[in-house]
Formats: sequence, structure tokens, C-alpha cells
Amino acid sequence: MTDGGSAVSTDEPTLLSNVSDEFLGSLLFWLPPFLLMGFFVYGAIGWNFVISLTETSGFGGVDYSQLDIEQYTRAFGDPTFINATTNTFVLLITFTAVCLAIGLLLAIMMDRKLRFDNGFRTIYLLPMSLSFVVTAQFWLWMYNYDNGLINIIISSLGFSKYQWISNPDLVLSAVIFALVWQFSGYAMVVYLAGLRAIPQEQYEAARTDGANTLRLYQRVIIPQLKGATISASVVLMVFALKAFDFLYSLTGSYIPPKGSDILATMMVRQAFRINNQAYAAAIGIMLFALALAIITPYLTYQHRRGEL
Amino acid sequence: MQLASTPPMTQKLTQNLQRRTYLEGLGLVGTAALTSLAGCTGGGDNSGNETLEILHGWSGGDGQIAFDSMLEGFKEKHPDIDVNAKAIGGGGNTSLDARINTRLNNQNPPGSWTEWPGKNLQQFTNADLLGDIGESVWSNNNMQSAYLDGPKQAATSNGTFVCIPTNIHRMNNLFYNTTVVEAAGVDPSKLNDPMALADAIRTISENTDAVGMAHSTKSPWTTLQLWATVFLGQAGIDAYEAFINGNGDKDAVASAFETLLAYSEQFPDDASTIGWKEANNMFVEGAAGFFHQGDWAAGAYGSDFAFGENWDHVAFPGTSGQYALNMDSWVIPQDGPASKAAKTWLQYVGTKDAQVRFNTKKGSVPPRADVSTGEFGPFQTAQIESLQDSTVQPPSIAHGLAVKPEILTKLKQAVRDFSFTDASVDKTAQAFMDAF
Repeated sequence: MTDGGSAVSTDEPTLLSNVSDEFLGSLLFWLPPFLLMGFFVYGAIGWNFVISLTETSGFGGVDYSQLDIEQYTRAFGDPTFINATTNTFVLLITFTAVCLAIGLLLAIMMDRKLRFDNGFRTIYLLPMSLSFVVTAQFWLWMYNYDNGLINIIISSLGFSKYQWISNPDLVLSAVIFALVWQFSGYAMVVYLAGLRAIPQEQYEAARTDGANTLRLYQRVIIPQLKGATISASVVLMVFALKAFDFLYSLTGSYIPPKGSDILATMMVRQAFRINNQAYAAAIGIMLFALALAIITPYLTYQHRRGEL
Repeated sequence: MQLASTPPMTQKLTQNLQRRTYLEGLGLVGTAALTSLAGCTGGGDNSGNETLEILHGWSGGDGQIAFDSMLEGFKEKHPDIDVNAKAIGGGGNTSLDARINTRLNNQNPPGSWTEWPGKNLQQFTNADLLGDIGESVWSNNNMQSAYLDGPKQAATSNGTFVCIPTNIHRMNNLFYNTTVVEAAGVDPSKLNDPMALADAIRTISENTDAVGMAHSTKSPWTTLQLWATVFLGQAGIDAYEAFINGNGDKDAVASAFETLLAYSEQFPDDASTIGWKEANNMFVEGAAGFFHQGDWAAGAYGSDFAFGENWDHVAFPGTSGQYALNMDSWVIPQDGPASKAAKTWLQYVGTKDAQVRFNTKKGSVPPRADVSTGEFGPFQTAQIESLQDSTVQPPSIAHGLAVKPEILTKLKQAVRDFSFTDASVDKTAQAFMDAF
């Protein structure tokens, strides 16, 4: 460029100035994977959205001639959908909050230089490495009315036994408890990394100023774990949305125990059992919107901090 | 150069700004790519493959052994046909159905696969997806005259033959552990109606350490099939036929749930967390007096739990002379791949040889009436005789022979929501009526 550069200010790079040099050169490296991702992931989501606007059900192809939002209005008038959405929200929020709280507590204990802390860390993290199929069967045994460990413990404490799975008021809590058991170790590891990054001087300075342990954590340490909290909660929420595997393994069918139906199980049931593809697609899109709603604040936060 | 004199801090900021500009550019390109690509919906083409691909759900246990034996028989007779058999497991054909569903929607059907016959096939026949095999398959091997009426009816759709049933499981068995019922002083052969069974299982719970009836409520199908059998025994075959055709009588439906409620008082306390196999183990171990299940349950009774000695069975009270059917069958798609080989396969599964091989190992009985009982054990021989003496062969509700998948799912959801209380009887009966 002999004189064309004068039209563009060099102090403040804009899209145009970059397109002219490095942007084009770098295309080769990122464009192919980007297009593949765009087509197979986002293209598929887009196609799914289009199907959700049709009336498709049964075999025999999709008719794109008439697109409307009937499937969405149908969902909001469907008590099963409302119930599944409520359960999805309860699962999402309770599971994430409890996981974070327990993870933080464990991390603080680990950070206090216990003996055998490596061993404990492995023990707490181990459940995460197990598949949902294994943990679901494991918790079925734990929740067995007659000889499950949970009922044995509470009855030895003098309480009466509970039907953890067949009581619709308890089952969601039982599922959340099992998932917390599986994933609080993950929250612990994330928090532990955050704690180890805090310089020792800050602990000492707080002590010198006369802060007790509670105040030390409350005022100095925990506020610095904001980043860890956000990234752990995003991952945990995504796990919560995937709880389908766990619920499916619990009964071996697309119909989970009463009181534990979530959007994911309802979607699969509609798509593969009843063959209501358009309705299932609409549920899928709403589930996707839910996941986006969760992840967008995180991405915005990262972008604002200049980390993205 | 201007850049060289830029202070480090500003340089970093500039780089950062550039990077973020890229990011924004990326977003723009991405949006453009999406808009152009999203509409592309290419379909795959899988023709020209002459290997016969068959899909079934027998991925383990006696089902796998039975299928392998049948496949071996086919290979002996037709060594020139390459078979690629794929077992897709999962209770109640859940995973198999999902796979078939996906492949049919992608216009990529396998050469042949298994389905429950009867109304379950309507989802396919309504879209004209199944091949008419009346001429090409049913006219061979004397099949038309050898098959029993119940299976033959279930194999047709609007008068056209669309599948070959290979095995029959009986749904209205009532198994009993002889040691337990004798200890309790109960005589199962004297039970004439489902409510009498409720008294008998209460007697067992009161007089012995065992529970009256082993049962699993982990997934809804076990309770749905128990309800259907109670309903058949209580309301009779005409009411049963009326119900599956959408003209059910709500009071009769509710009444069967009340009987179920009476049974449930004697179910094991942990029924909701055990599967049917664990319930079956309870029965074998003498921890339960009665057990209701399809006759596949008997496949688990080994030599130290002998038929006629340690366990026996009667027709479920109120259903004597009836043989409630559950079947598996093979279908081929309309204009599917390797269609000649697929028809040869269907012809083979309809033969005596295939059905003896399969059924002796599966614990079911053949739908052909001309198979000799010589190769079957005493329990299966008794089942074959009951089948041939039976007056009616009502199709199973819980396995989709009697209702189409959408209704079946609604029934299962209603059973899942049935909380075994008086209050929920009416609600569940209403849900059953609304399902049609």
C-alpha cells in the first residue's frame, strides 16, 4: 500500500485496517475449523430451530412450507413442560449453589495443609471420574428403602425411613444430593487453585491487623475467589443440564421417577419415543436458550475484563 | 518507526485491541457463514451395499444366545449371504427404537430389524415405510396355515402382511414359589379372580417371613403390564378389546387399579429402587410368594430352582384359557437395501428350524403351531400346550402390541404418576381414558 494507508488512522486499528494484512494471512489457520464448527454445531442448531417452527411428527420428512411458533405456545400450555422447566431450574440452581458451597469448604480445609491432603483430594475428586450410569446404579442402592445406606444411617439416628425415589417430594432432592456428591470435588479443585494463587502475605497482613479466621476468609480471601466461582459455576450448570444421563440410568427409560422430569428427558421422550420431532426441537431450542442465558453473563464478564 | 518508540504499555494495549478486533471480525464472518450454510440439508445415500445389515435388541443373556443360534442356522443354509448383525441393547427396546427412528428419518434403513408387532407398527405403516411381504415371504414354508391366528393378526396391517413374528412370550403367568405358598396355606389353583389373589398375598405376608408378591416399580412398564393382566382377569376379554380400541370403561379401569392398590400393600418396601430381575431374585430366594412377569422371568430359574418342584405357575386369576401375547417380529423396509437377502432372512426366521433354535434358548414359544414340542423343556412344553388350547390371545399393552407408541407413553406416564393411594385411582383411570 503506497498511499492508501492515509485513509485509515494508525493509532486506532479498525476492522478494515486489519483485514488488509494479518487478518487475511491468518484466515488459512482458523477459517477451516471455524467453518466446520459453524456448520456442524451452529448450523445444526439453526436447522433444529427451523424444524421447531414446523409441524413435523412421525416419519415422512419435514414440511417447511408453513413456519410458525405453534410448538412454543403448545409448550407453555403443556403442564408436563411447565413441570419439567421448574424441575430443571430447581436442579440447576440448587445443585450449583450447594456444590460451590461444599467445594469452597473442602478447598479451605485442604488449603490448611492437612496431612495426607493429596490423598483426600483424590478421594473427593474420584466420583467425578465415574460415569453417570455407574453413579445412578450406585445411588439406587444407596437409596434402597430396606438396605440402602442412607436409610440405615437415618434410622439408626432414630428417624423414620424414607422412600427417596418413589416419593415425588423427595426424589429431586435425592437426585441433587447424588449429583452434588459427584461434582463437589470439581468445585473444590477449582477453588483450591484460586486459594493457592493468593499470596501468603495477605494472610499474614490480615492476622497482624487482628482479623480472626472467619473474618480473614470473609473479608480477604473469599472476595478474591470471584473468578473461580464464576468459572466453576458455569461448568457445574452445564453438568446440571446434562443430568439426563443420570435420570435415564436411574430407571432405564425415558420416563424418570415422578417429580424428577427435566427438559432433557422430556425432549428425548418426545423425539424418540413419540416421534414429535418439531415439539422436541422446540424444547431443545428452549433448553439451548437456557444454557445461553447462563453462559452469556460469564462471557460478557470475561470480555469486559479483557480476558476474551 | 512509530511502533519502536511506543511505550510497552501502549504496545500491549494496541495488541489487545487488535486481538479483540479480530474477535469481532470472527463474529461477523461466523454469522455470514451460518446464514449461508444453515439451509444446507444434504441427505446421505447408502445404496449399493449388498451386505445384509440387521438390527435387533438382544445384546446379552438368553436373548443373545438365542439370536446367535438362529443366525448360525441362517448362515448354514445361506452361506453366500454376508450378514452384519448389530445388537442394540437397552431395556424395553429403548435404544433400538431410537436408532431405528433416526435411521428411518435419514432415509437410511437397515436391511431388516426387530419390532413389536401389532399397533406398534402403525407408526411405520402410516408412513408406508414397511415392505409388503405377503407374497414374497408369507407364501413360503407353509407359513399361512402353520401360524396361529393371534400372531398372524398382529403381523398384518390393513390386511397386508408386514412382519414375521418369531417368538411368543406369555404375559398372564402367575408364578408362585411352592415352598412359600405351602407354608402360608395358600392354594394358587383355587384363585378365581384378581381380588382373590389380593387376599392370598396378604395371607402370605401374615403367615410367613416372605412378602406376598415380588414387584418392581423402578420403571413403569412392569406395573403397566400387571395392571393390564388384572384388568383382563377382572373385566374380561371384551372390555380389554374395547379399552385398547379406545372405548374403555373408566369404572372397570379404576377397579383394576384398586386391585393393584390392594396388591401394593404387600409389595417389597424397596420396589421403587429394584428392577424386575432383582424382584425375580427375591422370588427365587423365597423372599416372595407370588410373582407376575412375562415368561422370560422363568429363563433365570436354574436347575436348583426346579419347575414343578420349587416353583410353578397358573394362568393369572380370571384369565384361564387365555394366552396374553407379547411377541418380537422381523420387518423389512419398503425399497430397503439388500432387499433380496432381507427377504431370504425373513423366510428363514419363519421356518420351524429358526423358531426351534431361537425359542428353546429364549424361553419363549414358537408362533407356528406345527413345531414339535420334543426339543423344549417341561415348562415350555406346558406353555406350548396352553397356547394351542387357548381360546383367545389378547395382545400386550405394555409392549405396544395393543396400542401405538404415543398412547403407550401416555399410559406409562400415568402409571408413573400413580402413587398407590386411594386418591390417585380416579386420577390415573381418567389419565388412561384421556390417553386415547
